Amino acid sequence: MAVTRVEVTPKQGDGMRDVRGDVVRRQLKADHNIEVGEVRSINGFLVKSDIDKSEIAQRVSDLFSDPIIEDVQTDLPFLSSSEHFPITPDAAITIGFKPGVTDNPGSAAYDGFKTIFSNHEDRTDAAISTYHTYAFYDLPDDVTSEWLASTLHNNLIQRAVISDSAACAAAQWPAIDFPEKPPQTLTPPQRIDLEISNEELISLSESGLLALNLEEMQTIQTHYRDETVRQSREAVGIVADAPTDVELECLAQTWSEHCKHKIFASKIHHIDTETGEDTVIDSIFKTHIMKPTHDMQKEVDWLLSVFHDNSGVIAWNDEWSVCMKAETHNSPSALDPYGGAMTGIVGVNRDILGTGLGARPIANTDVFCFGPPNWEGELPDNLFHPSRVFRGVHAGVRVGGNESGIPTVNGAIVFDDRYIGKPLVYCGTVGIMPRKLPDGRESHIKTPTAGDIVYMVGGRVGYDGIHGATFSSLELTEESPSSAVQIGDPITQKKMLDMVLEARDAGLISCITDNGAGGLSSSIGEMAEYTNGCEIDLAKVPLKQPGLSPWEILVSESQERMTIAVKPEDCAAFDAMAQLHEVEATPVATFTSTGMFHVKYGEDTVAYLSIDFLHDGVPQLQLESEWQTPSPDPFAPESISIPGEAGHSELLLRMLARPNIASKESWVRQYDHEVIAQTAVKPFVGVERDGPGDAGVIAPIHGDPHGLVISCGIAPRYSDLDAGAMAAASIDEAVRNAVCAGINVDKMAGLDNFCWPDSIESVKTPDGKFKLAQLVRANRELERVCRAYNLPCVSGKDSMKNDYGSGEKKISIPPTLLYSVFGDQPDVRFTATSDFKNVGEKIYLVGVSKEELGASEIAFMLRDSGEATGIGGQVPLLQNPESNITTYRALSTAIQNGLIRTAHDCSEGGVAIAAAEMCIGGRVGAELDIDGTGDASVWARLWGESLGRFIVGVQPEDEADFVEWMSGHPVTVLGSVTDSNTLTISDGYDLLINAETHSMVEAWQNTLDMTGGVA
Amino acid sequence: MAAPKVAVLFGFGINCDHETAAVFNLVGGDAQRVHVNHFVSGNLNLDDFEILAVPGGFSFGDHLGSGRLMGNRMRFALREQLHAFVAAGKPIIGICNGFQVLVKTGLLPGPGADTPLPDFVQRASLTLNDSGRYEDRWVTLEFDAESPCIWTKGIQRIDCPVRHGEGKFVMPSTTDFDSLAANHQLTVRYVDPKTPVGQGITDQPLPFPLSPNGSMRNIAGVCDSTGLVFGLMPHPEAVYAKWLHPDHTRNTAPGPLSSDALGEWEGEGLQMFRNAVEYVLKNR
Repeated sequence: MAVTRVEVTPKQGDGMRDVRGDVVRRQLKADHNIEVGEVRSINGFLVKSDIDKSEIAQRVSDLFSDPIIEDVQTDLPFLSSSEHFPITPDAAITIGFKPGVTDNPGSAAYDGFKTIFSNHEDRTDAAISTYHTYAFYDLPDDVTSEWLASTLHNNLIQRAVISDSAACAAAQWPAIDFPEKPPQTLTPPQRIDLEISNEELISLSESGLLALNLEEMQTIQTHYRDETVRQSREAVGIVADAPTDVELECLAQTWSEHCKHKIFASKIHHIDTETGEDTVIDSIFKTHIMKPTHDMQKEVDWLLSVFHDNSGVIAWNDEWSVCMKAETHNSPSALDPYGGAMTGIVGVNRDILGTGLGARPIANTDVFCFGPPNWEGELPDNLFHPSRVFRGVHAGVRVGGNESGIPTVNGAIVFDDRYIGKPLVYCGTVGIMPRKLPDGRESHIKTPTAGDIVYMVGGRVGYDGIHGATFSSLELTEESPSSAVQIGDPITQKKMLDMVLEARDAGLISCITDNGAGGLSSSIGEMAEYTNGCEIDLAKVPLKQPGLSPWEILVSESQERMTIAVKPEDCAAFDAMAQLHEVEATPVATFTSTGMFHVKYGEDTVAYLSIDFLHDGVPQLQLESEWQTPSPDPFAPESISIPGEAGHSELLLRMLARPNIASKESWVRQYDHEVIAQTAVKPFVGVERDGPGDAGVIAPIHGDPHGLVISCGIAPRYSDLDAGAMAAASIDEAVRNAVCAGINVDKMAGLDNFCWPDSIESVKTPDGKFKLAQLVRANRELERVCRAYNLPCVSGKDSMKNDYGSGEKKISIPPTLLYSVFGDQPDVRFTATSDFKNVGEKIYLVGVSKEELGASEIAFMLRDSGEATGIGGQVPLLQNPESNITTYRALSTAIQNGLIRTAHDCSEGGVAIAAAEMCIGGRVGAELDIDGTGDASVWARLWGESLGRFIVGVQPEDEADFVEWMSGHPVTVLGSVTDSNTLTISDGYDLLINAETHSMVEAWQNTLDMTGGVA
Repeated sequence: MAAPKVAVLFGFGINCDHETAAVFNLVGGDAQRVHVNHFVSGNLNLDDFEILAVPGGFSFGDHLGSGRLMGNRMRFALREQLHAFVAAGKPIIGICNGFQVLVKTGLLPGPGADTPLPDFVQRASLTLNDSGRYEDRWVTLEFDAESPCIWTKGIQRIDCPVRHGEGKFVMPSTTDFDSLAANHQLTVRYVDPKTPVGQGITDQPLPFPLSPNGSMRNIAGVCDSTGLVFGLMPHPEAVYAKWLHPDHTRNTAPGPLSSDALGEWEGEGLQMFRNAVEYVLKNR
């Protein structure tokens, strides 16, 4: 087939701009301080088709270009046109995709191509690949075109073709060719001999990226020695005495840390060297997460579904239930920040769609942990600079969320040097479904029966995404495979989502789950547990390119796919619905009750595993845990010299500019946060709509103000002292944020998302016992606080290998728990936000400041600058959570009753930062006195991060009612809002802080604005 | 009288269909979400509806330019049905991506007043914001009181969110704008909220973020010469209730003091949809 090259470039002229080119210019300035005179852009399309070139050329302006704003040329590079590009550029770089990488614009163009040539018989055979060309003018001499190209593309998934200045002068323009995937030949299933030595078993696991340990390999070895197993295998005509590659891959996926959570399920011998404790914990998941939640489930009627489904479901009212799930996509995001993060968000959307009989995603949350964006130190091999990771991840989540039409209502961005080794990309989604479907079934219960037809719906299966689950169960290395990286396709998924929800309401779905880690192997394998068996025919699975071997088809994690079971009598209706929505839906399996996971390729059996062995055969890990309290150098603020009155004021401005505290508005505003017309509290609030929001509040049923709160908490710094305190602080922060929005504290649920460094002691991880002890402590605190708060953990996830490299070069992330809360908000018209509302508003502190400066943001700031020697000291503790929750209930009901419209939680930077942010939101000043807020030192009362605290604003006429309402709870008057446009904070007669509101705004907003300006 | 039947398109990445249908229903419409292919295949006939809404979203991912591929589907597959709909004097609205679709099909701003029926020729475009960024932020809009647009009657100034990356309205020459202006088809513009109501509209480009995209003459939306077909980049449906306005937490969200739909909580965006429903009821 001939390839026709179509190029499009923005018209030049009055008011017309080349915005794509200009964005590249501005980012070079913002990220690298490089001034380029001008950058111009060209979009290219390589159209491979049997349709005559001249026929294509006639229609290019119907499809590829916009006649008002763009020029188009066929089979002639624009750069060679002196009319369009009269000046010779200093460099020209073309970026295209590598073969096999998802090219969304290319697929869209192909769809449009079919519309245009709808009557043409040759149309269906076409393929379209896209590229971008950038031409650089007035490039500084010391900037090489190779370096420019490296910043513009990721060579894992993209190709660059470069013309440097000499080539440009000689009119040699970059010409990229169609990314042709070399033909693949199908490899028939192989017999894998396991009658080999232990060393060989280990090396087989490692070389095959199976991520199975010796005991697991031996368990599989033993399984195939069983005579009854051998006999049953002979009966179906599969190799009897050894696994096929299909089976071994399938077991590796199903038994991966990613899918089976082996560390959370392990038997842990735990020693506490301080208390002398020596115990055995049989599964921290069952002990500290599942048991408490099940205990709570007995007490309430609104916990509909916990743990076993793709997300946890709670009853929101009589008609609707809501569910939420959060996932991480750390390893893929390290390799390809854009694609990795995008598949993260669209992937968790599918978890919601795969909950019960299908829920509709209505809100996203995104929490990222990165290295400092202004990092100037060394970067380990194969790792991107944190600013590039930040940009890529943000873009991936932005495109994934926005194009899917799901608002991003809440999130956080946290910075620490150690996240250079592995960024954390948490993506969460909230869903809603009618509690009863039109046919009377309860939507949160799946209803499969043997004989149901199992469809694969949505995208096709390709090489992209093979070994994602096992890969994420290994540490990052320089050789990490590119097949583990994928780019999401939100539009294919959106079409599928529209169709699935229609099919649900029509009663056509008996069971549904998403295809994520482990692909069909996991999705059909897990659903087959319901009916105790299934039979799959891999030859029926539609492929992106021919030649995939059976094991690859079974475990590929290609995106945008759901696995859906349909009763045989409903298949015709289901097929028709798929056709209407232009969604590919293919029956690939049948549920059985044989007890077997039976996989065929055509007539041949290629895998034959018992459901029991597949799901329950993995041996329990036995792990060692040993706690020793870390003792870093203490943070001793009394030794720091504060120059006179302005001292703490200067610290305030520096703290506001810290990336962990600074405004993320320029990033967050690029997310659609109010599609669906339900967002009642936006991410940014206040007079100029740029003050920090504490939690997302939505009213998802149009016309009804009944609300839902979504919030999060994260406090990884505290892990440097005690990961238990870190966990408690995360949960408390999430709850406090939700309380500020007026959540009903008696109807809220939580999600625990653990990201940990490798915690299994080994040569690679000599401190594994300590890291595991951190996990034990975090889970014990999680149980203690959640029980006290009556806060069930309805869903969660863990990512347990967040390390880079080994030995001296090893980077392990700080143990990090993201805790998300979602719950009932009775009426969104009565909520509170952080911005001070008006002059004269009275300001109160709810809670008590304690001597808890250990691992505080100010300690880190002053240690990093060399002004303090350490960050050690007392970490914030939640000593009496039972009393905290009664205070939260009082405050939240005060908000629900309209008594309070201003509330902000105190977290990073304590009272000083919270007050500053409230002044910024209201564009007002305030006069505060922190005398009487606790027995702690000035530093602790000003900057300390003691838990359980809020600053609230009360209208003078409501003050007496508020004080009465809060009687019995720790409440201290701080001062009032003033018209001075200055924040003053004093301690009795001592003035500590005197800062103008506008300078606080500037300090807070500038750090993370990496947009490079408007134009 | 039977409630006017509203077809709210969805499919292929349209994603504001639920709320757009909901706001029509709040003001007495009988809105139905209809997959585009129902009209293409002939399962349903556009003729059976009285109002057509093309909601916001990312049809086909906005690859190849916002609204372009959906515009093509409509231009090629629904040409006759759309022509008949406009000829029958039925109102059409396109919001955000829907506006981009209507511009790229040529329905907006459409041919001149002397030959008002659709010729499906593209005369304007919506291109990348000058900032180069997709953004969600609130803007202030003011309406041309003399516009023939049936959707905007009686609306002077409202706050709305914009949520787009390609909202800069452009036309090839100033004379194009002059003729639209003369016919009051430049229905709605971004304005500085500090200007007195009724005096905000200016042809001079406003700075970011008052104008979020650098639109020529600060244009936020236009109508065709009949005033029946209307499109705008901002999202009036996203402020159907005061509790969706950022200032509601400060007790200062603007809007009507009472309404049949939401009492004192009706937002400023709802009137536009009520106008169309009432227009249909009056002109049946």
